[in-house]
Amino acid sequence: MGWAVFGLAATAALTAIMIAAQMGGLSRLDLPLVLGMVLTGDPDRARVVGFFVHLGAGQGFALGYGAAFVLLDRATWWLGALLGLLHAAVALTVLLPLLPGVHPRMASHRAGPRSTAVLEPPGLLGLNYGIQTPVVAIVAHLAYGTMLGLLLQVR
Amino acid sequence: MPPIGEYGLLGDTRTAALVSADGSMDWFCVPRFDGEPVFGRLVGGTAAGAFRLGPRLPAPVVQRRYRGNTATLETTWAVGEARLTLTEAMVAEVAGRMLPASLLLRRLTVENAPVEAVVHFDPRLGERHRAPRVSRRGHGLVCQWGSLAISLACDADVRIEPGRSTSVTVTPDRPVTLVMAVAFREPLIHVDPAAAWDLVVEDEARWRAWCAEIDSDLPFRKSVVRSLLTLRLLTYSPSGAPVAAPTTSLPEHPGGIRNWDYRYAWPRDASIGIAAFLGAGKLDEAHLFLGWLLHASRLQRPRLPVLFTLDGRHAPPERTLTGWPGFARSVPVRVGNAAAEQHQLDGYGWVVDAAWVLVKARQRLHSETWRVMRGFADLVARHWREPDAGIWEIRAEPAQHVHSKLMGWLALDRALRIAETHGTRPDQRRRWLDARDAIAADVRAHGLDPVHNRYTRSYGSADLDAAVLVLPLLGIEDARSPRVTGTVDAIRKELSAGGPLLYRYLPGSDGLRGGEGAFLPCSFWLVQALALTGRRAEAFGLFTELLRYVSPLGLLPEEIDPATGAYLGNYPQALTHAALVQASLALRASGPDADSLLERRQRRAASAANHQRRSRAPMSR
Repeated sequence: MGWAVFGLAATAALTAIMIAAQMGGLSRLDLPLVLGMVLTGDPDRARVVGFFVHLGAGQGFALGYGAAFVLLDRATWWLGALLGLLHAAVALTVLLPLLPGVHPRMASHRAGPRSTAVLEPPGLLGLNYGIQTPVVAIVAHLAYGTMLGLLLQVR
Repeated sequence: MPPIGEYGLLGDTRTAALVSADGSMDWFCVPRFDGEPVFGRLVGGTAAGAFRLGPRLPAPVVQRRYRGNTATLETTWAVGEARLTLTEAMVAEVAGRMLPASLLLRRLTVENAPVEAVVHFDPRLGERHRAPRVSRRGHGLVCQWGSLAISLACDADVRIEPGRSTSVTVTPDRPVTLVMAVAFREPLIHVDPAAAWDLVVEDEARWRAWCAEIDSDLPFRKSVVRSLLTLRLLTYSPSGAPVAAPTTSLPEHPGGIRNWDYRYAWPRDASIGIAAFLGAGKLDEAHLFLGWLLHASRLQRPRLPVLFTLDGRHAPPERTLTGWPGFARSVPVRVGNAAAEQHQLDGYGWVVDAAWVLVKARQRLHSETWRVMRGFADLVARHWREPDAGIWEIRAEPAQHVHSKLMGWLALDRALRIAETHGTRPDQRRRWLDARDAIAADVRAHGLDPVHNRYTRSYGSADLDAAVLVLPLLGIEDARSPRVTGTVDAIRKELSAGGPLLYRYLPGSDGLRGGEGAFLPCSFWLVQALALTGRRAEAFGLFTELLRYVSPLGLLPEEIDPATGAYLGNYPQALTHAALVQASLALRASGPDADSLLERRQRRAASAANHQRRSRAPMSR
């Protein structure tokens, strides 16, 4: 059960950092909004739905982190941070750029006049959402991994 | 170089090209509007590259038009007994299909007899006119510059060499089709010329359907439809950003220094676009602009920057392109735009008014949208007393511009109106109300010329500003009051550049060297002002006169040289086209029988012409 509780805590920390970065004008990346708009076109509802989707995804990733710690037979803060860095790198270079291909309400760089999509494509490293987006994402994922490394234990 | 007004626009809502009447594509940036030019002859001279397709020897153009309500451009030359026609378009809808992000088709056809045509394909990338690394794939040509590649395929047996002119014979039974595909940071996708033609035909059907949805009762509908289509072509579909113009540094004064980069998006243009599209019955486009506004402004909220890049970033620093000769020797050629650093109060008024337009149209604002608008209104309530650069982006010390104050008033007034149906704290509403009334009192105390009882350009000055023509729209004064009509008349008279043309302010009063032309959006704002002050007949007359300045392709620039009628400034200009639509909407709103009024005017004009002919006839005998 540890991974579930600590996964929740780590995801909450990651979300808090992302929201703080948004409020501070560092990035336009709003993960709950992006995820929620897969399911609804109303941004206000999307944020609520997306928040829970994000929490669920965070739990899933925490399970993956837990499995990695078991495989490596150790769980330390720096190992968690390294996994967090890898996680951020994959998210920025693979997941975000691929999102326009599957997201029903996200335009792609090929969008034409028929497009009524409402979300702009994030682009490589999420740079379309602000030049500091990669930094914010890395910091948030470092915090996520570090927390899991500190909280999870390998028995 | 050909005059600016001779150019036609091709676009796919991601980037655009300008093509002269001799078939030369002299401006084309990749992979999007604000990318580097691969054909930059327009302002970069012959070394900056061009792509010409047309008759080998000079021939007169007998027809140039868009094919109906589409974005396909057709140019026909008379070559002896033969007619050579160039049909060209960019494919707009490529999403969801195995197609390149930018796909251009150019096809030559002839009637009556074979014609010798020429292909001159000379792509040069960016500031230093970098020549490509060239390779061949069968009949096709591939030009590469690192992560950028352009392919050119031709269905005729012709070997095209970049930078050299190649002759090709076009016969009536065998058109020649060239297809250019662009790939940036992705593999090239080669498209067969016949398949590309089918894509253009599909696009044409979509544009026709798009135009058919535009309200049918709009006065001067043909011009309005072309303006809306042009506005849509200048909207960057991946983000919804409205591009002010697809060009940089087309001069506001030939040979002068007023050369700016307009390949960015201004919230003001987006707001005007919302009203224009919504008024004409295009709700999706109005929402697209609003979505872009909300997304782009997120980082700096509640401050509203003057302009953004197409994906909502801060515009790059302004710099000049070394060695670029400019259009008509107008240097410097600039990229980036320093106006991004300015404070302009009027932007808030345009944006909150756009939200109000949506609310009036029974569109409920999402709570985030309303939160953003409240933030803008709060900022105006706090900062309206500060001087700003004004709508004209004057590059001098900030001043107390009357137009900016009026637009600040508008922001607060419209926020108060929206608050009647959207949740707002009472203390916030009170703050807005107090600030709105304070602005009105301040403008009347300092922005009125006490001698002539009319609004001025800035506090303490007697100068006029054509931007104040928005006055009848606002509601700060009764639209038909002597003060409003007096201001409108004074602007019309004292800023007149002859005929229906207006200067935006007195020439030479902006601190920059050299003059400039008449500012075309102001003339359409005058149409609007006349319509709203109960002078509909005058407004119709003025609009009719202005149609003389619309290019045969239905395109408009930012400015007109009053002496020669030549187009000036970046082209085609989104603000001018949006102002044209607004003027038409104002005419429609000013009376139900607007069209019949026009018909009566036309009948009267025809009758007068007949009468003149009849009265002249005896004298000529």
